[in-house]
Amino acid sequence: MSAALTLDQLSVALKRGRGKPIAVLDDINLTVNAGEMTALVGESGSGKTIASLGVIRLLPRSAEVSGRVMLAGTDLTALTESEMRRVRGRDIGMVFQNPLSALNPTTRVGNQIAEVYRLHTGETDRAARARALDLLGEVGIPDPSDRLDDYPHQFSGGMRQRVMIAMALACSPKLLIADEPTTGLDLLVARQILALLSRLRREHRMGVLFITHDLSIVEEHADQVHVLYAGKSVEWGTARSFFAQPRHPYSQALLGAVPRLGQTRLASIPGNLPDPETRPPGCRFAPRCAFREPACETAYPAPETTGGTMFACRRGREINPAAMLDAVLDDPAPIAAPSRGTALEVTKLGVDYERTATSFFQGMIGRKDKMRALSDISFSLRQGECLGIVGQSGSGKSTLGRAVLQMISYQGHVILNGEAFDTMPRQQRKLARRRIQVVFQDPKESMNPRMRIGDIVAEPLKLAGMRGQRARMAQAAALLDRVGLSERMLNLFPGSVSGGQAQRIAIARALATNPGIIVLDEPTSSLDVSTQALLLNLLKDLARQDGLSYMLISHDIAAVSYMADRIAVLNGGAMVEFGTAQDVLTRPTNAYTRELIAASPHFRTNQPGGPTETMEFNPSTVQPSAV
Amino acid sequence: MSNALGQTIHAPGGALRRSAAERAANWLGDRGTLVTGVALAAIVVLFSLIGPYLYTASPYAIHGHHALEAPSAAFPLGTDQIGRDELARLIAGGYATLIVSIPAAVLTFLLGITYGLAAALSPSWFDKVLMRVLDAILALPGLVVLIFFSALFTPGTFELILLLGLTSWPGLARIVRNEAIAQRNRDFILATRQFGGGTWYIARAHILRVMAPILVVNATFLVGDSVLALSGLSFLGLGLQPPYTSWGGLLQTGLNLIALDPWWMILPAGLMIFLSIMAANLIGQGLLARFGAAR
Repeated sequence: MSAALTLDQLSVALKRGRGKPIAVLDDINLTVNAGEMTALVGESGSGKTIASLGVIRLLPRSAEVSGRVMLAGTDLTALTESEMRRVRGRDIGMVFQNPLSALNPTTRVGNQIAEVYRLHTGETDRAARARALDLLGEVGIPDPSDRLDDYPHQFSGGMRQRVMIAMALACSPKLLIADEPTTGLDLLVARQILALLSRLRREHRMGVLFITHDLSIVEEHADQVHVLYAGKSVEWGTARSFFAQPRHPYSQALLGAVPRLGQTRLASIPGNLPDPETRPPGCRFAPRCAFREPACETAYPAPETTGGTMFACRRGREINPAAMLDAVLDDPAPIAAPSRGTALEVTKLGVDYERTATSFFQGMIGRKDKMRALSDISFSLRQGECLGIVGQSGSGKSTLGRAVLQMISYQGHVILNGEAFDTMPRQQRKLARRRIQVVFQDPKESMNPRMRIGDIVAEPLKLAGMRGQRARMAQAAALLDRVGLSERMLNLFPGSVSGGQAQRIAIARALATNPGIIVLDEPTSSLDVSTQALLLNLLKDLARQDGLSYMLISHDIAAVSYMADRIAVLNGGAMVEFGTAQDVLTRPTNAYTRELIAASPHFRTNQPGGPTETMEFNPSTVQPSAV
Repeated sequence: MSNALGQTIHAPGGALRRSAAERAANWLGDRGTLVTGVALAAIVVLFSLIGPYLYTASPYAIHGHHALEAPSAAFPLGTDQIGRDELARLIAGGYATLIVSIPAAVLTFLLGITYGLAAALSPSWFDKVLMRVLDAILALPGLVVLIFFSALFTPGTFELILLLGLTSWPGLARIVRNEAIAQRNRDFILATRQFGGGTWYIARAHILRVMAPILVVNATFLVGDSVLALSGLSFLGLGLQPPYTSWGGLLQTGLNLIALDPWWMILPAGLMIFLSIMAANLIGQGLLARFGAAR
C-alpha cells in the first residue's frame, strides 16, 4: 500500500516571547496510507495540532522544525514557500474544528468552493461552478443546486462542516487533514461526518489524518491509531489491534475515560498534562502512571511490541489489562442515607421565544413572531436523584434548564419543595432561586475574568449576607477542598487555571449556597476526555454524599447514562421519551431515542470501566434513589 | 540555572551585560506610548499647577512701556498688546484650562457611565426611550449647543464645568450601554443572579469591573476632548471672560493681531493645547494596548 503521508522524526520547538525555544513535539513517526484513515489522538496540549500545522507548514516563523514530511514522495520541508502554497489546497485538503470561522460569511458557499478549484486548476468560472455543484452533492447536501448560492450562516453546523469538506476535496487532494472536525457537533451529526469522510477516502483513494481527543468516535472508521502524550508518541498501530488490546497505561486510561452506555465507573487519571516547559525527563506519563518504576523517571522507554501495536512503555508487555483497569478506577463515595422526597416538580411547562422582527417594517409596527421553544413538559425530580435531559442542539434542553432556574419567563408551574415559583412574592422568589444552582458548559465564561477565584467562590456567601472577608475565604477554601482543589487557588485569576480546574471552581461556587438542586448544562462538553471523566466522577460522589439532585443536560446520552437515574429525551421542544435510565436505554419507544442510543459508544468487554462480572447491559447497579 | 520545575531562571548578573541604551529600549518597548503620554501630561500639569509658584510675575499687571514685545530676559515669552507678561498669562491660562477641563471630564465620565448602565440594565422599553433621547441629543451639533448656552449667561469656572460636563457625555453613554449589553447575559452574570445578586450589585461588582479597561481609556480621551472643547469655546470668546484667560483665549488674542506677526502670543498657547491633547491620547492608546485585550 502506498503512503500518502509519512512523518519521519518530525520535531517542533516553539519560542514563547524572548525565551529559548521549547520542544513541543518530539520525533513523531507516522504514516497515512492512501485510502486509509489514521487517527492522531491526544488531549489538549499533546501537540496534535502542532503536528498537523507542521505538515502544512503553517507554524509561526519562529518555530524550529526538524525531520521530514513526505507527501507522496515529495519532501514538503524542502519546498519553497510559493511551492508550498500550491500544495496546500491542491495536494492537501484541510478541515478545521469551527467551520463558521473557516468559511467567509460574506461569500456564497458555491463561490467559495469554486474559488479553491479555480485557483489551483486555472479552470473557467463555469467549470468551477459545475465542480462546486458536484462536490456539494458528493458530501451529502440535499438539493445541492438550490444550496449553491446560500451563505454559510444559512447552513446548520453539520452542513457547514460538509461544505468545508467539499472545499477540501475540490482539487482531489492526496491527503485530507481533519483537525477535530466533529468537536462541538451533536453525536448523530458527528457520526455522519465521520461516515462521510470514511466513504470519501475509499472512493478517492485519499489518505485522511483525523485529529481528535475522542477515541470512541474513530473506533469504527480509523485504520491506524496514533496516540500522543505531551509531544511524544506513546502507542501506535492498526486500529484493530489498538482497540482489541491497548498496551500503554495512558491509552487504557483514555479508553476507559470515554463514557459508554452501561458503564458504572469512569477511568480517571490523577494530575494534569505537563506543560511543555515542565515535561519530565523520562517517560512523560510517569508522574501520573500507577505502574511507574524508578527507571521510568529517568529515560524515555524505547518502542516495543507484543505483536499488536507499538508502545513506548517499559512495562506495557507485562501489565495485564485487568490490573490497568483497577489502577484507573477509584472507588465511588459511600452513599449517605437516601431520602425519597420530591425536590422539584415541573408541570405543563412551556416557553415561547419572541423572534425579533425579520424586516425593518415589521419592527416599525411592532410585530413579533412567536416561536414555541418548549411545550407541555412535566416531570418531577426526587431528592438525591439525577435526571438526564438528552437532546441535540435546538431541542430545547438548555431552555428547559433556564426555565427551571427562573432565568427566563415560562408558562406552567415549577414547584420547589411544595411551593410554586409563579405564586411567590418577589423577595421570596429571589431567595428560593438560591436553592437551585447552575453549572454552565464553558467554565471560563461562567466566572468574571477580573475577579480572584477566592472572591468568585465566596460571592454567593457575600450575597447571602455572610460577614467578614476572612470568614468567607475560609469557607471558600473549604468549598475548594470539597471539589479536590487546593486553597492556594484562592488568589489566582480564572485565566491561569485549566478548563477542568475552572469547572471544579464553578461547582464549588454552585455548592456555596447549599442548594438542593444543581442544573448541569453540558458541564463536560468543553473538556478533554480524561478531565470529563474526573469531573463526572466528582459530581457523582458529591451527589452520593449530600443527597444533591441534578438535572444533567447533555447531547451525549452515554455521559448521561453514566450519571442519571431517569432520562428524558427532548426533540423539537417536546419530551419524546421519559423513564428510568434502564428502561430508556434498553427499551426505547421512540425512534429518535433509538437512533441516539445506536450512535453512542457502547461498553465492551475488554474495556476498563464496566462491570467485569456481568456482560449484560445494566446501567443501574446503583439504586435509583441514591445517586 | 533552573528551579525545581526545570524552568530557566536568569542569573541576576545577566542583565548587566547589555548596554544601558539597549535596556532602556527594551524597557520602553511596548509601553513607549504610555510613558511618552505620561511624561507629556506631567509637563503640562506641572507647568500649569506648579508654575504659578515658580514664576511669580502677575498675569494681570500692565507694563505700558513694553506692549507687544518679543521674548527677552525680562519677559521670557514677550508681552501682549497692552504689555502683560505672556509667560505668566500662559501659566494662568493653563491653570484656568485644567481647572475647568478635568472636573468637566469627571462629570462627563460619571454621567456617561450612569446613563449607559441605566439604559443597558433597564427593561427594554425604557432602554429604547433613553436611547432615542440620546439620539436626539447627539443630533445637535455640540459646538452650537455650547455657544448657545454660553451666550445665554456669562460663564465663570463653575458654569463652564457644568456646561462642558453636561454636553459631552452622550458619546460615552453609548459606548457604556453597548458594552454593558454585550456583558449582561454572559454566564457569570446569570450565575450571580442565581445567587440573588440584584441589578445594581451586578452593575457595580461585575459589569464595571469587566469594563474597567475601556472606561479608563475613555476617561483619558475625555480629558483631551474637554481641553479641546474649552479651548474652542474660549477661542470664540465664549469661555472665561477677561481679565481671566485660558489657552484658547490667548490664541484668539494673538490671532487678532496676526498682521503684526506676534508669534510669541500664538505659538506657546497652541503648543500647550496640542501637548495636552497629545498626552491624553497617548496615555489612552498606551493603556488600551496594555490592558484593552484582556477582557
